[in-house]
Amino acid sequence: MENQLDALRVIFTEFYYWVTVVLMFFIHVGFCLYEVGVSRRKNMLHTLMKNALIMPLVTVTFFFFGWWIYFAFQNGPGITGGLKGAAWSTPWSELMGPHMGGKPASADLSAEDTATWARLNGVFWAAFVLFAWTAASVLSGAVIERIRSGAFWVFAVLVGSVTWVIGGAWGWSDAGWMVQRLGYHDAYASGVIHAVAGGSALAILIQLGPRIGRFRSNGTPRTFPLHNPWMVVIGVFLIYTGFWGFYAACNLPILDVDPDDGRTFFSASTIYLTPTTLGAITVNFLLSLAGGMLAAYFFSKGDPFWTFSGGLGGIIAASAGNDLYHPLQAFLIAVVVVSCAYKLHYWVERRWKIDDAVGAVAVHGYCGTLGVIVTGFVLWGYPSSPNPEYASITPWGQLLGAIIMLGLLGFLPCFILAGVLKRAGLLRIPLEVEIAGLDRHAQVEESQQAEEVLEAERESAGNAG
Amino acid sequence: MSVTAAIESWSGNPLDVGPLYPWVGGELLLLIICVALWICWTIWQIKTENAGYAKEVQELKQQGLSRFVGGK
Repeated sequence: MENQLDALRVIFTEFYYWVTVVLMFFIHVGFCLYEVGVSRRKNMLHTLMKNALIMPLVTVTFFFFGWWIYFAFQNGPGITGGLKGAAWSTPWSELMGPHMGGKPASADLSAEDTATWARLNGVFWAAFVLFAWTAASVLSGAVIERIRSGAFWVFAVLVGSVTWVIGGAWGWSDAGWMVQRLGYHDAYASGVIHAVAGGSALAILIQLGPRIGRFRSNGTPRTFPLHNPWMVVIGVFLIYTGFWGFYAACNLPILDVDPDDGRTFFSASTIYLTPTTLGAITVNFLLSLAGGMLAAYFFSKGDPFWTFSGGLGGIIAASAGNDLYHPLQAFLIAVVVVSCAYKLHYWVERRWKIDDAVGAVAVHGYCGTLGVIVTGFVLWGYPSSPNPEYASITPWGQLLGAIIMLGLLGFLPCFILAGVLKRAGLLRIPLEVEIAGLDRHAQVEESQQAEEVLEAERESAGNAG
Repeated sequence: MSVTAAIESWSGNPLDVGPLYPWVGGELLLLIICVALWICWTIWQIKTENAGYAKEVQELKQQGLSRFVGGK
């Protein structure tokens, strides 16, 4: 960087994304608290470890292949072209490590590649890793107290480092084929993360079956009391906190958004390189949170679990178009979508005996999918990209996009994989362990250790007289 | 002089400086090792988990499962 303005722009962008990564970490802290708070005491440790190991496993696999998939699969491949070259994103690329942006050492990189990506590759990658953790974590809560950890982590890698990333490549990049051909618009990832993860969770839940005792013999559901409602509340609030970082990370903070070559106009932009402002999305974030909470409070008659989850659902519902909605549109979309998702959750639960322990399919899957569809009507006719050759936003483009996210990338791969694992006896924990509790072994060890310490204390007390 | 260093001096022109990490050119080998570690870890974890459950089921059957119903 040879001039101060260029250096400020690049280093500000680098710092901006670094901050988003730190903020997004709260999403994962929140998910851990939330899940452990919902699980019964006999399963707490297993629940915590199952979620926590998402972090290392999705991180390394996203390094191995996730980041490359995001760039390489933007044409399908096979829809608008072949696999795209993205030498900066391969796991062996010198640009994945510390780099000053000067002369490349490897032949597959140009001087332009190194100048562009040296400082930003790492923070962009890290922001995407945190998105990936979020996608994988969505599944985690739904399947607590009966899935094998090993099976869950295979799903975490599939969703966190493969399927949602393909969704991102297709519909959440400036050159994705869905943006080009369908005019798909999903500015803050209602579909590419939440619908994909929600569809995946639903597929696994179908194959996994409900927890023992979840349904009465007449098919009506029993409620499992939360073991710690305060952990659940703090968990959801931390997820809200992390969502600020999530929203900010979906923007480019400073970009020349004027398509005319002779002029420049700097603004924040969406991932589609269309202009927006941080102020606009902040207001819309809050209004959609408010709409979701109020609707969920109304329909659940003040149930705290649903009220707080409804806030999250409201944000997810409006996220696809929150770069362009008026705040009151964001509010009303959140109200309507969260109401539908709440009703849909109980209808699906009773009809198909789906035991979604945290309502993840409703909050992420239904709210995300409906949010993508609603965008097609509210933003009908808006250009999806600065590129005038791309399709504009339409209801049918968004509907098809929602089906691709929820069904093709979310439900289908996980349904097949869960079926394979089920046949191999690797999906669900044994009945005996489920009844006794997943932490029984650890609890026995803990009480033995405590007894040994107590014995030592008694002995010391005896010696001291 | 170290045989690993990508940089010999910080006093040159920064525009000529590319990768900063040691063993530039050895990235593919590192990747192969790390992927192998991840695969081995996954296999080990699944095997260990299966063995743990098998042992647990045996113990629970011996002790009588009804003792554990309602366990916290």
